[in-house]
Amino acid sequence: MDIFSNIFSYSIIHATIRMATPILLASIAVIITQKAGVLNVGIEGIMTMGAFTAIVVSSQTGSWLAAVLAAIAVGVFVACIISVAHLKFKADVFAVGMTINIFAISLSIFLLNSMFGIRGSFRPEDLAPLPKLTIPFLQSNEVLNSIFNNYGLLEIGAIVMVFGLRFFLNRTSGGLRLKSVGLNEMAAETAGIHIDRTKFMALVFSGVIGGLAGAHLSLGYANFFISSMVSGRGFMGIAAMFFSGGNPVISWLACLLFGFIDSTGSRLQAYGVPSEFVMMLPYITTIVVLSVSMWLRKRKSLLLASSVKTTGTHQLEDQKG
Amino acid sequence: MDYVVEMKEINMSFGNVHAVNDGEFTLERGEIHSLIGENGAGKSTLMKILNGIHRMDSGSIVINGEHFRHYNTKKAIQMGFGMVHQEFALVDELTVLENIILGFEPAKHGVIDFAKAREQINFYIREYGFDVNLDKRILDISVGEAQRVEILKTLYRGAEIIILDEPTAVLTPQETLNLFEILRQLKSKGVSIVFISHKLNEVMEISDRITIMRDGKYITTVKKDEITIPELANKMVGRDVTLACEKPPVHTGECVMSVQNVYVSSKRELSKIKNVSFDLFQGEILGIAGVDGNGQNELVEAIMGLREVEQGSILIKGQPMQNQSVLDIRNTGVAYIPDDRNTRGLNKKFSIMENLIANHLGKIPFSKYGILNKKNADDYSKDLVEKYDVRPRDPSLNVGNLSGGNAQKVVFAREIEADFDIFIAAQPTRGVDIGSIENIHKLINEIKLQGKSVLLVSAELEEIFALSDRIMVMYEGEIAGIVRAEDAEINRIGLLMTGGGTSAS
Amino acid sequence: MLHKNTYLNTIFSVAIAFLVGVVLILAIGQNPIEVYGELFKGAFKGSLNFGGTLEKFVPIFITAIAFYIASVVKLFNVGVEGQMYLGAVVSAWVGFSFVNLPGPLHMLLCFVCAIVVGGAWALISGILAVRLNVNEICTTILLNYVAILITSYLVNGPLSAKTGISTTPNVADSVILPWFMSPSRANTGLFIAIGIFVLFAWILSRTTFGYKLRSIGSNKEFSNYIGMKSDRLILTGMFLSGGIAAIAGAIQVLGVHHAFLNGFSSEIGFYGMLAALISKGNFKMLPVMSFLLALLRNGALNMQRFTGIEASLVDIIITVFILIASMDWILVLFRERKKVRVQ
Repeated sequence: MDIFSNIFSYSIIHATIRMATPILLASIAVIITQKAGVLNVGIEGIMTMGAFTAIVVSSQTGSWLAAVLAAIAVGVFVACIISVAHLKFKADVFAVGMTINIFAISLSIFLLNSMFGIRGSFRPEDLAPLPKLTIPFLQSNEVLNSIFNNYGLLEIGAIVMVFGLRFFLNRTSGGLRLKSVGLNEMAAETAGIHIDRTKFMALVFSGVIGGLAGAHLSLGYANFFISSMVSGRGFMGIAAMFFSGGNPVISWLACLLFGFIDSTGSRLQAYGVPSEFVMMLPYITTIVVLSVSMWLRKRKSLLLASSVKTTGTHQLEDQKG
Repeated sequence: MDYVVEMKEINMSFGNVHAVNDGEFTLERGEIHSLIGENGAGKSTLMKILNGIHRMDSGSIVINGEHFRHYNTKKAIQMGFGMVHQEFALVDELTVLENIILGFEPAKHGVIDFAKAREQINFYIREYGFDVNLDKRILDISVGEAQRVEILKTLYRGAEIIILDEPTAVLTPQETLNLFEILRQLKSKGVSIVFISHKLNEVMEISDRITIMRDGKYITTVKKDEITIPELANKMVGRDVTLACEKPPVHTGECVMSVQNVYVSSKRELSKIKNVSFDLFQGEILGIAGVDGNGQNELVEAIMGLREVEQGSILIKGQPMQNQSVLDIRNTGVAYIPDDRNTRGLNKKFSIMENLIANHLGKIPFSKYGILNKKNADDYSKDLVEKYDVRPRDPSLNVGNLSGGNAQKVVFAREIEADFDIFIAAQPTRGVDIGSIENIHKLINEIKLQGKSVLLVSAELEEIFALSDRIMVMYEGEIAGIVRAEDAEINRIGLLMTGGGTSAS
Repeated sequence: MLHKNTYLNTIFSVAIAFLVGVVLILAIGQNPIEVYGELFKGAFKGSLNFGGTLEKFVPIFITAIAFYIASVVKLFNVGVEGQMYLGAVVSAWVGFSFVNLPGPLHMLLCFVCAIVVGGAWALISGILAVRLNVNEICTTILLNYVAILITSYLVNGPLSAKTGISTTPNVADSVILPWFMSPSRANTGLFIAIGIFVLFAWILSRTTFGYKLRSIGSNKEFSNYIGMKSDRLILTGMFLSGGIAAIAGAIQVLGVHHAFLNGFSSEIGFYGMLAALISKGNFKMLPVMSFLLALLRNGALNMQRFTGIEASLVDIIITVFILIASMDWILVLFRERKKVRVQ
């Protein structure tokens, strides 16, 4: 009972959001490109470069804002490389994305070593981390303070983005055009929409969000950088995107679930569960959750397509046959 | 005479194919002008040039007195063109409203003003008497309604010249009348309409003037009142045609296939098969008439084992074969020409030879112990290419390079050479030139003369009447009626296809 | 058709990638001719260097074949890395455990067990993709992390040699694949790789099974209509893919390290996958691309010792090369020329 309450104390809410945010940002980034019909597997590379840029700029300038802006710029730059290779040079976007992921890791290792002579993790002392938001009057109550206060800028920002993206997709002309490109290029083209330009814009936006996700990783989630720090979070974001069918709000819920499992798992370690199994947990959860959701979706579509189940009246007459 | 559009000496090639050769076309304000010709006569290409989709190689285009050379679709829309393609340019997952405004959304700071959009569209709906529901997704509406959405879309974008490419191919006779009513309404408000078709009776009904094309060339333009259907046909084909070949007498034997109270699923509500029963007898051709999307495909796929039979049974030669594998069903003696030869009937990535041996793969001359015998396969396909007159006669060619008619011959060759008693042919002549249509009809009649059974699915009533011994009409996934061919009247069949008339099975 | 010529495209890509490399090397203040000279010496000079290139070539080549086989049935098996790890750990375990078996049988058992485990691992994603339409890129890549963590747990726990470093005990001498170009670690796994390549080239072009795999990959609807059992065939393809990837792992254990080392791969599987991707569906290009990547990687490692240039720089050049090779240069150059002519 004691163990149980230790693992599932109210502080779990905080931990869940903390763990979920990098995945959520990645998920937002890939939802945008997916709506334009591009599966951006290069999101991990964008995040790695964003994280690296942010921590370097932050430690050099002492300004988190400059760090975030630089991370965005680098994210956009990487997204532009993907766009040019895919849209202009007709490279397979999957090949480009996977290459970018390895490229980003190699580049960050190289730059860390040549700029700072550092191998492994980079922990600058004079770091300007992302600010945390607090509402003063809640500070007096321990529980409320723990649940509602001290969230990082992007932990809140990501949630705002979820609803912003939802509004964009459902209510704006840009969103409608974006969706049409991903759903039916021919229809979009005859409506005078530029396919490649739309895809390019989507990739650029995913570069912006990916850069932010990176900045959050190295300046919000952790205060250090290692080249492998993204470690599949981009792909979990992709999984959340598939889970939700591209709906930002549902994707957010999926990310929260991943984050919850991750944060409970890391508490299990204190009780003798081998660290490898704890580390596996988020990956396995992601796969299980994604599979279950796809199974439910398949069942639903079978039910909708059924000739027997939706026309219930016939069922009685023909039970014998 | 002032023309809205004047096209002269238009030339355009795709690679080595001279698709339009000195094409000519004029359009007056407020007229309905039909553009007719066989498949591949260049009529769609000519109109796609006018619509900014293709670039002509040479020629002159004058629109409202102004010369134009190259322009894109966006510019064409601005100039007042709107084109309704055979393949609809609609996003299935979006609503009718969203599809209509796509690309031309009334918006303030990027936020769509849906109320305003609705108001604008409702204006056209009232003005021309459209019947559409703006809030349904394209996925959930009928083909006829989707076509009306396409026309609404062009109007919403401010079209004054509407080009319709084979619009009636997908419609019921009733829906066609409805379309013509809308077209007349549009004409009366000064909209000019280009009507691309090869259905001559419809052309004679709706047009003011008619332009005929053949082999990419301009033949002539005539006023409707100054020409008859046989003359039109003659000019269109370049020779006299007798489409109706003689129907061989029927000698029906025992029942080879019995479909009993079958229910089949479908994504589209109207295509769900509900309680369908019928028998197919030895030596007959049973034609399934119906407008596309009324469950014909689902029924055939269920028979072939490609789609789950949720309830009921299908007996093939007395054996219950529902929900068996395709291979098992084929092995009981069923051959099948699918309606979509481009994705299902053929593998476009494969050579003619590889397509021809696909259903004989595991059999002795072609393979042994799972190892292919290339020489035997080559010899076999060389023979078949000769026998079925596939042009060019090179089985090593990629099948994607063949014309529609020749590609269909490959499908027929593969299926007929299999060992079968039941032959299912779905839309066997769709997108096939007239010469090949005759050939294909002959092949189907030969199958019947050998005492085998044919299940023919066609949306072309003429084809159904030309070949069938019995005609079964499908409407919204149910059998609207089965009649003997000699008792069948085209009007009654047309009525059954639209859900009018009571079931008479 | 000109633009379908992958060979020409490759030559262009290699040339352009090397030019970009020149710029990068100049940017860090080194002499490109010297660096490339060292790179090629590092890849080819002497049996140590050349053998090293061959040693690195084998697993990249095999995982490239593995990735290719799955791609024939239109599945992206990004999990080759994880499947290779599992194959490696399984073959190491069999290799040091069943020492009483006769040598050849013991070795066969090492490979068979590796294939079964690697194939089964790939099947997880395959089944989820076929039955539930779960995106296999997602599942294979996430399962990579799981697979690597499993091996890490095993090598630090139940299978540890308990020597203080993360490794299993050495495998029995009788299952070791001999080195043939000493002092390098180039081993007879090379011939296994060539054998797999030839076997699959034959299967794909000359057997009904290969025909069916190709048919399903290029047009599933056609294949179903003809009467192929496409789901089962796709799963077979995925199993083979995972099994072959596992062979690469087994060769790394039996031929190179003679034990399972934690984290031995350094992304071999990803390079294999990328070699397959830049071969663009042309099976004959697999050895060429794999060899190119292997020589770059090995040359780079050796070069590092002499020039002091970071190996990660070479990884950068390699990824730039892959990026450039993934583009369709012929198409682009051809199109540009046509545009000029029109004007």
